[in-house]
Amino acid sequence: MSDVIYLDNAATTAVDPRVVEAMLECLGPSGDYANPSSVGHPPGRRARARVEQARAEVAALVGADPVQVIFTSGATEADNLAILGAARFHRERGRHVVTSRTEHPAVLDACRQLEREGVAVTYLKPGPDGIVEPAQVEAALRSDTLLVSLMHVNNEIGVAQDIGAVGRLCRERGVLFHVDAAQGAGKLPLDVNRDCIDLLALTAHKVHGPKGAGALCVRREPRLGLVPLLHGGGQERGLRSGTLATHQVVGLGAAYRIAADEMEADAARIGALRERLWRGLSALPGVLLNGHPTRRVPGILSVTFDGVEGESLLYALPGLAVSSGSACATTSGEPSYVLRALGRSDRLAQSTLRLSLGRFSTAEQVDYAIEAIAASVSRLRLVAPRMDP
Amino acid sequence: MTADDPRYGTEVRRRMASLPGVGRFDPAADVAVGRAGDREQGAEVALHCRVAGRRVTEVRFQAFGCPHFLAAASWLSERLPGAAQQELAAWDWREAAGALDVPAAKFGRLLTLQDAVRDVARNWPGNPVPSV
Repeated sequence: MSDVIYLDNAATTAVDPRVVEAMLECLGPSGDYANPSSVGHPPGRRARARVEQARAEVAALVGADPVQVIFTSGATEADNLAILGAARFHRERGRHVVTSRTEHPAVLDACRQLEREGVAVTYLKPGPDGIVEPAQVEAALRSDTLLVSLMHVNNEIGVAQDIGAVGRLCRERGVLFHVDAAQGAGKLPLDVNRDCIDLLALTAHKVHGPKGAGALCVRREPRLGLVPLLHGGGQERGLRSGTLATHQVVGLGAAYRIAADEMEADAARIGALRERLWRGLSALPGVLLNGHPTRRVPGILSVTFDGVEGESLLYALPGLAVSSGSACATTSGEPSYVLRALGRSDRLAQSTLRLSLGRFSTAEQVDYAIEAIAASVSRLRLVAPRMDP
Repeated sequence: MTADDPRYGTEVRRRMASLPGVGRFDPAADVAVGRAGDREQGAEVALHCRVAGRRVTEVRFQAFGCPHFLAAASWLSERLPGAAQQELAAWDWREAAGALDVPAAKFGRLLTLQDAVRDVARNWPGNPVPSV
């Protein structure tokens, strides 16, 4: 791994060594490994204290009360619990959901499941810049709309939605508001009260925490009912049964505490690296930025290289770990549905790379990436047939 | 992509390293060009074949597509010299699939190569379109 420059932090991030240290304290024979539900003995109570500290750290990052935080296996589970749980619990209140075409599959597939259960879903088309305007949401609301689900930051193009405006609109209209914040939490400011968010899905591994750890932040005042997905021991206020993985939860809490402490500095440094990367790549001819130029998370850059096929470009970059614009470059090579929703043609969608920076990215890595990509793009363009007859 | 990527076989990796045969010939009386594909569909190729004595003598290619497609075009640049017009008109993509261990998901792109090879036969210098 050390010989490959990792610029795929939107896929996942390296766990911060400080997070690793906190997690290790919960694993070994001398650590706080006990079941946090076993509060009848000291080791169990120590594990419970660790879990509750993590709950407070997660809540603090998003302006919530700790009691609102339900630990899950990640954002996918949190999204499913939010969307399916709310729609099933409140089925008598409304049978219509509004979301966007550029949501993560965790949201889109949950919505498709609701459609199979008789719920109508409106899929909003964002503008060419990836933004879903609050007015679009307002126009889509119906008398039976139960829920609006909109992601904070898009995982492919890095665009940030105006969550606060949509949240206030939903609150005024009495519609539940769910936000998938997997890519934005810890990188951009987020506050469930200020932004009127009823259900907030979170994950650890996009912000230098462990994979397999996430949370759903659920509104408490007034209390919001959900039908659980998992049944069993009744952990997490009955909303997520299963023994809590103390070390994972502690890793999530530590990652969020560090993100809260260092968000401003990280955002400034990573944002500057992203601009350095874009300046270098945009010097090439036929290069397009995907998504709004300024309303975006610091670390994600989606770039289209006209005249270059994405899989071959990835192949030609053995020293870089980046993603293509294809939904599944390994098999079908289908163009990204996100880029297509923005109006990019199949050809341009297939000529796209996502480069994503993180806390451990450096200027030297960015400069190497610029040089390597420029050389490969030029070579592949020379190989391609000329467009003229 | 690294050498241990299981999606690409040895021959694909070898050819992608230098793409032997890449290039084009300037238009000339002894050059037949076959084109096929569409960038919107993810694969486009141009095969430039120099012809002498009723056989292909030299091939250059230009291609836009995935590594399997580029490697297959490169492989064709070495496979086609010596072939007669009628052989090109009957050439089948499966030969490239076997030679390069191309996965089934990419077979459609090899059909684009087949179209280009047969287009060379149609554009054969001074000769009518062969019946296949």
